[in-house]
Amino acid sequence: MISKLFTKSAPFLALLGLALTGCQPDLEEDIKPSSGTADFSRYIAVGNSLTAGQADGGLYLEGQLNSYPNLLAQQFRSVGGGEFVQPLFTEAQRNGTGYLRLAGFTATGSPITAPVNTALALRAGATAARPLYTKFTEPINNLGVPGIRMADILSTTYGSVTGNPLFERITPDAQSNQTYLARVAASNPTFFTAWMGNNDVLGYATSGGASTAPASSLTSTTIFTANNNQLIDALTANGAKGLVATIPDVTNIPFFTTVGPSFRATLETPQPGLPNGVPGLVIQTGSAAGPASATTRKQIATADIRNASGVGRQLFTLTSSPFLGLLNQRTGRAWRYVYGQSGQPAAGFPLFLTAYGIDTLQTFGTSMGNPIPSAFVLDDAEQALVRTATTAFNNAMIAKATAKNLAVFDVNGFFARVATNGIVTNGVNNTTQFITGNLFSLDGVHLTPRGYSIVANEMIRAINQQYGASVPTLNSNEYPGVKFP
Amino acid sequence: MKLKSLLLVSGALLTGTAASAGGYQVTLAGQKNNGMGGVGVGLSLDQAAMFYNPGALAMVRERGVQVGVNATFARQAFVAEGGSTQRELRNSVVTPFNLYASFGPAEGKFRAGIAVYTPFGSTLKYADGWEGRTSLTEIELQSVYVQPTVSYAITDQISVGAGLTVLAYGAVNLQRDVPLPDSFGHIELDGEAERKVGFNAGIFFKPSEKFSLGINYRSKIDAEVKDGDVTFTGIDPNSVLASRFPNTKFSATLPLIATTSIGIGIMPTDKLTIGIDVNYAEWSEYKSLEFTFADPINGSNTSVSKRNYEDALTFRLGGQYKVTEGLTLRAGGAYDESPVRDGYVTPETPDANRVSGTIGASYAMGKFGVDFSTQFVSISKRSQTQSQLVANGTQDRVAGTYKTNIVIPGIGLNYSF
Repeated sequence: MISKLFTKSAPFLALLGLALTGCQPDLEEDIKPSSGTADFSRYIAVGNSLTAGQADGGLYLEGQLNSYPNLLAQQFRSVGGGEFVQPLFTEAQRNGTGYLRLAGFTATGSPITAPVNTALALRAGATAARPLYTKFTEPINNLGVPGIRMADILSTTYGSVTGNPLFERITPDAQSNQTYLARVAASNPTFFTAWMGNNDVLGYATSGGASTAPASSLTSTTIFTANNNQLIDALTANGAKGLVATIPDVTNIPFFTTVGPSFRATLETPQPGLPNGVPGLVIQTGSAAGPASATTRKQIATADIRNASGVGRQLFTLTSSPFLGLLNQRTGRAWRYVYGQSGQPAAGFPLFLTAYGIDTLQTFGTSMGNPIPSAFVLDDAEQALVRTATTAFNNAMIAKATAKNLAVFDVNGFFARVATNGIVTNGVNNTTQFITGNLFSLDGVHLTPRGYSIVANEMIRAINQQYGASVPTLNSNEYPGVKFP
Repeated sequence: MKLKSLLLVSGALLTGTAASAGGYQVTLAGQKNNGMGGVGVGLSLDQAAMFYNPGALAMVRERGVQVGVNATFARQAFVAEGGSTQRELRNSVVTPFNLYASFGPAEGKFRAGIAVYTPFGSTLKYADGWEGRTSLTEIELQSVYVQPTVSYAITDQISVGAGLTVLAYGAVNLQRDVPLPDSFGHIELDGEAERKVGFNAGIFFKPSEKFSLGINYRSKIDAEVKDGDVTFTGIDPNSVLASRFPNTKFSATLPLIATTSIGIGIMPTDKLTIGIDVNYAEWSEYKSLEFTFADPINGSNTSVSKRNYEDALTFRLGGQYKVTEGLTLRAGGAYDESPVRDGYVTPETPDANRVSGTIGASYAMGKFGVDFSTQFVSISKRSQTQSQLVANGTQDRVAGTYKTNIVIPGIGLNYSF
């Protein structure tokens, strides 16, 4: 009986089985990757710390592995991309230059960071003032050098022990006077990405316009344009195709937008004798020495500090955070920190105070004699200079890229939208909020793996559009934001 | 009637997968109808008329019981926008189930009956780690209606009928991954719906031996879950984030929408019956899916996701041919408009316009009969882009392309008094 039932129903079951196997839909025909008119066989990445994969205030192995060029190279592999070598730190020296980790939060919810300084990649001869790193002199595809400016690419000492330690690290000893431009020219790509120029405004901005050091100055548009043209000419000399990324308006990065809003809220809290809170502050402005005067001091109203909704103009740096609680106290701690950053001998501190007209017996932040250091504030006038330079540099880069028929990723326009609306990746919200926004790492300037993967995706979209390619994008949600304790 | 124990036994079976009608509607109420493209409003085939058109029940000569069960095999492909990986569902089989019993005098004008069926449901399990994991990892939506029904033939040509639709059992289990800054947790929302009541009424008109006409209306029932359980897993209890994701309670309401149908039957010969139905489903009731939480989850007591469905039509055509005294063969098809607008497709209802083809057969031996049916449902390929999601404010779901096929074999047994 049972077997009879089975024989009778077998043909029906077989038919059903056939129907079910044929039932699985297939979309793979729709998603065939292609390289279009581009040739990804030898991809070279040119740029600065963002290209190197810097995060959390340092360059370390995990950041390198999540660099946008590495992510791009991984996606290029399905469309003919070749091997992509990065100057990775070894596992034993995985923490590279050292970096910051999130250790927890204060009772009021402020993040507590802690330095990671084990397993560094320092080599013999390194000092605190001049670190030297274990060299990596194999041929590499990722030429991202943290700190490099467009203004630096012609320097013959940049790869020497007196130059940039992270360029020195990847420069073979025999060619220690090779310029960055020459290194790029010798790389012979079939495809490249170039994202340079951020540091030509960033150094000035993050130092609050307070330093006269070259790395903290705005590059002149003339030099920027000339160097950019040389760089792109070198990259395209053999007919390579590629992508040029512009630079964002840095006044929207968490480094500048995190501290001001909460500081302003604190100032606006009513206190005994001050029913409307603290009405205003005195800040130091510019980089020039000299006694308190209209050119070295500036009064800012509390209401002029930019809040979370973007109302107000004055921006406070992330580095100011530990010192703003000292407002109205007779203290020189903020000045000691600022002076310490210059690397000058401690004995020079009193002379420094005298030169800048600082009297630490006066009240901090509310007196002409003890203003908030210029290094902690990017004021409206300094922001205007940053924006003017950003626009001029971007115009130069776009003009050159257009002339060479290259893909352009308009980072400035893209980042302006992200700063306003955030960006949703496969249902997950990401914003420019410090720590919780997923995009920016603990230094408030560099990106998290999530942020870098979004950059890679935007570049892929621009590349696909320009070259008729279909390079697949990444699922950004597989790349984490800030690591929580 | 041992309805309660029957429900308990079959409770686990009573469900559907995004089956033979748009949205989360399931129209697999009768095996004969299933073989004929789902027509039935203008016909008086058997006790399943209690679902399709209670007005036609009085015209069904046979009194008896019938049970039916279907198995839905859904296969889906999904590729995220710009992605290169095809995601396929983890296979699951669900078995919508129905039961009818009718009573009444042999030659009288009255019929009474009770129907148990599953008008709404959905079961989908997505691949681990798929792109839309924070929208949905799996869903199981179940509903069971119990419908006591009466029907009365006013004349030989006109009959009317109505039933009280009782949402006897409704349950939802919805799971998704929770995006944390550096990892994913998991949330499970699990709850049972309150008992609710609606109605199902119809008129049946058969002016000649060769023609019949029916109109049917099934009212809306809001399936309301109160005190459902919210359970988090995969979040390290020592993490500073853990306190933001407390296990708590939720409430939510899902509309089990109203449907108006009109159908005709054409009987050119004794042996041939043809049915044509049009269903109008009032999906525009489904504006959003809102969960309210007893304790804030990641700082919010509510979660709102836009649906904005629109009313949709289904067109059905089917026929049966009585080959011998015992054997009847059936075929049919349906075209089903999706209620889901462009840019609003969600993983729990990856909907698009559907085309179905159906086949069926019955064999009768005296008072006993057995029915077979199989439906082949092709849900059209449908893409939505991130820019559409941004424009509609529906970025809580994922951009990409879905394509789903479903095969639904079914079997029914009936016994006439």
